Amino acid sequence: MKAVGARLPRYDGIEHVTGRTTYVDDVRVPGTLWTKALRSPLHSATFSGLDTSKAEAMPGVRAVISAADVPLLEYGHLSALGIPADEPLLAKDEVRYKGQPIALVAAEDEETAMAAVEAIGVDFEEREPLLDIRRAWDEDAPKIHQWGNWYPHFEGEMDCRQIRKGSIDEAFEQADTIVQGVYRPAAIEHVPLETQVALVVPEANGRLTIYSCTQALYFSMGVVAAHLQLPLNKLKVVGGTVGGGFGGKVDTATETMCSLLAQKSGRPVKWRWTREEEFLCSSTRAPWHMEVADAVTSDGWILGRKMLTLHDSGAYARFSPYGLTKHSFHHTGAYTIPNLHFDGYVVFTNRVPTTAMRGFGVTSVSFATETHLSRIADVLGLDPYEVRLKNANRIGDTSPNRIVYTDPSTVPVVKALADGMDVTLAPEYAAMGPGQREGDLLPEHLVSQLADPEAH
Amino acid sequence: MNLTVNGVSRAVQSAPLTSLLDVLREELGVTSPKAGCEQGGCGACTVLVGGEPQRACLTPVGAIDGAEVTTVEGLGPPEELSPVQQAFTHHYAAQCGFCTAGMLLAAEAYIERGGTDDREAIQEALSGHVCRCTGYVKIIDAVAAAARGDSFDLTTTAPGAGMTNLGGVS
Amino acid sequence: MTQATEVLLPASPDEAVAQFGDGAGVTVVGGGTIVVPELTYGRLEPAKAMLLTNAGLDTLAREGDTITLGAGLPVQRLTELAEDVQALAECALNVADYEIRCQGTVGGNVCAKPGQDAPRGDLQGPFLALDATARSAGADGEQTEPFEEFLAHREGRLLLDLRFERPAASAFSALTYPHTHTYTAIAVSGVRSASGEKRLAVTGSAGHGVRLRGAEGDADDPGAAALRDVELADDALASAWYRERALPVLVRRTLSMLEEST
Repeated sequence: MKAVGARLPRYDGIEHVTGRTTYVDDVRVPGTLWTKALRSPLHSATFSGLDTSKAEAMPGVRAVISAADVPLLEYGHLSALGIPADEPLLAKDEVRYKGQPIALVAAEDEETAMAAVEAIGVDFEEREPLLDIRRAWDEDAPKIHQWGNWYPHFEGEMDCRQIRKGSIDEAFEQADTIVQGVYRPAAIEHVPLETQVALVVPEANGRLTIYSCTQALYFSMGVVAAHLQLPLNKLKVVGGTVGGGFGGKVDTATETMCSLLAQKSGRPVKWRWTREEEFLCSSTRAPWHMEVADAVTSDGWILGRKMLTLHDSGAYARFSPYGLTKHSFHHTGAYTIPNLHFDGYVVFTNRVPTTAMRGFGVTSVSFATETHLSRIADVLGLDPYEVRLKNANRIGDTSPNRIVYTDPSTVPVVKALADGMDVTLAPEYAAMGPGQREGDLLPEHLVSQLADPEAH
Repeated sequence: MNLTVNGVSRAVQSAPLTSLLDVLREELGVTSPKAGCEQGGCGACTVLVGGEPQRACLTPVGAIDGAEVTTVEGLGPPEELSPVQQAFTHHYAAQCGFCTAGMLLAAEAYIERGGTDDREAIQEALSGHVCRCTGYVKIIDAVAAAARGDSFDLTTTAPGAGMTNLGGVS
Repeated sequence: MTQATEVLLPASPDEAVAQFGDGAGVTVVGGGTIVVPELTYGRLEPAKAMLLTNAGLDTLAREGDTITLGAGLPVQRLTELAEDVQALAECALNVADYEIRCQGTVGGNVCAKPGQDAPRGDLQGPFLALDATARSAGADGEQTEPFEEFLAHREGRLLLDLRFERPAASAFSALTYPHTHTYTAIAVSGVRSASGEKRLAVTGSAGHGVRLRGAEGDADDPGAAALRDVELADDALASAWYRERALPVLVRRTLSMLEEST
């Protein structure tokens, strides 16, 4: 264990400070073409009459691709995890979010590529978009996805992620008060300093060397292989040097599109997104809508939680069902609540599809839970540290999905917070630790949720 | 046109309105300045022009014909890192590294014009530079250390030595 | 696009005036901080572009109490006037960051058209409050006029310099966000001239900066008077509603700062 606590040099430290780190856009291959995209200017529309002939005829344009050029148009990033495909690589006859790519041009220089995109003809018929997840259930809401307005393919073809534990009805009956709250964190853009970029170099034997900024290299290999219907041994992927990702580069499609352009043109093709594209068209952290109702006793025990979560997936599913699943497992946050009734929906809107961002699925519910705990303390007139320490996860407590805690950190963290804020805890609280519940810390309602931490 | 880049005279064929960033990256093969936004908003493209820190993405090359341009490659090679480069390495001031080139040159220029280890002054001098990874604290630590003239032994692996106090900016 | 643009590189103020001619089809580039991104993103395709970097317009001259600033003076150099006109130095320091200020010019700042979604031209405020005089070239030759008038018809003119008298006192209050790269949503500049005249100006209202003459004349409720002097609009930075609430506060603050300084 020589490494723990030691000052180890970063393996890329010297490269970074001497400007030698080679990011995708720093790879220089002679003859590389520039790429620009025709993107939907509308939130929701059908389109027809896609005419790329003028673009293709322009001097300096070497390839133009659209949906018709993609061997397998729809392939899900997480097909292997049971989330079926729903998103076309390039839009075929409709667009479901502003910025959705419809066609791509590879040309000798940036200016030509931009001019060629302007020369692509297409006729849009605008549709009413759905932009508010709460409206997805309205009778008159536009139906915007082939599966309906929310994801229906959880296990057993359920249309929501459900957690049921104990008896929520009993908890609500026994409660002294029900404390309610609604929490709606907004979308967050990752803003990696390096915008999304890919460079694909074709070899004469049909193999492609792909330089990608993806955070999920092995996923991306599978995605390219599937869309192009190529065996994996035709792909050489060079990755791992990323100028910031934070979750925003797990669903990249630039390498797939550049691969198609490279095949069609026979030339190396690079696509580097502008900062505007990165802000307007790249996937974000999802906005969430969470409704929480906690059954509490007047001395600060949380008997039960009833919760509804709507996760805004944007126009397509991508990783949202996975994010919502993690969210559901953590929906009680750092606290032990024995009776649970959770329903979570992945709702589609005509927004840019959402994706992972640090703490995918969980930061939302942490925010909601912590705010809600403070609200409970406020409503009951109790100390916010004490309410947290009572209900804190302890060894032997079980999570919403029945994982038994073997080393939960809630108690030491709350005590450290109190210390940092110069708050003196009452002696019984100052004496608390994370050990298995007993005595006053084990009221009747928490007995049934205990499990043997050794048995895990 | 002509530029002296890191001490070497280079002929420039690009049109005069081409940004210095594009001239460096696309024509001259100097790729350390990065295209983070191409609007002057992030600082990843900053280079030194006549010793002054300037956004390469905002500079039409025609306006600086004949100028001396310094990029991070001109600060020091791996065998002979400059004080700021050493400081950044020692203080772990780079994570993904994309902002690092711009930060280093801004820091270099700040120290050259007499900048001290005053953290507010450092923040003000580097305020045009965005970093999404580090949270800035270690970058400021590094610039302060270089401004003070701290010396570093980059071969050390002593536990705990020189780590920033997690309690915040001191 | 930019390949086809004719690039003019005047090496003196006279050359700049001559090459500018009547300004038809000429895009003037001061430091480049505003124009170059427009070129990069293909939003601007000028027939002619005049780069002023080496035109010798980066002058700062003092003659007694008269200060003359060349249009090519970098914004950062306005900090040298901290003792003379505090408002001008403060306003300048509020613009972007050190690197942008060293490259951006006074002329570029005050002549810029309003931005796509945010106001520009912070420096218009102090120069209006100073009642500066603008010297410019273009069709009809060289003109010298109050900056306020220049501002209203600046398109097609090449600003050469701004001249003003050192005031007895000045003040600057702005609505800003506590991080860099922020455009100022709304700001008020105030000047008490050597002769005792009080002048106020606002930037961040619709269009360009304007004098707040009503507020200058109203001792009782200058804040309310200021609201009658301006047209406020919504943009990406702030709503007209928000600016409406900020303006009277900024006016009162500026006036009280002017009163306090001897």
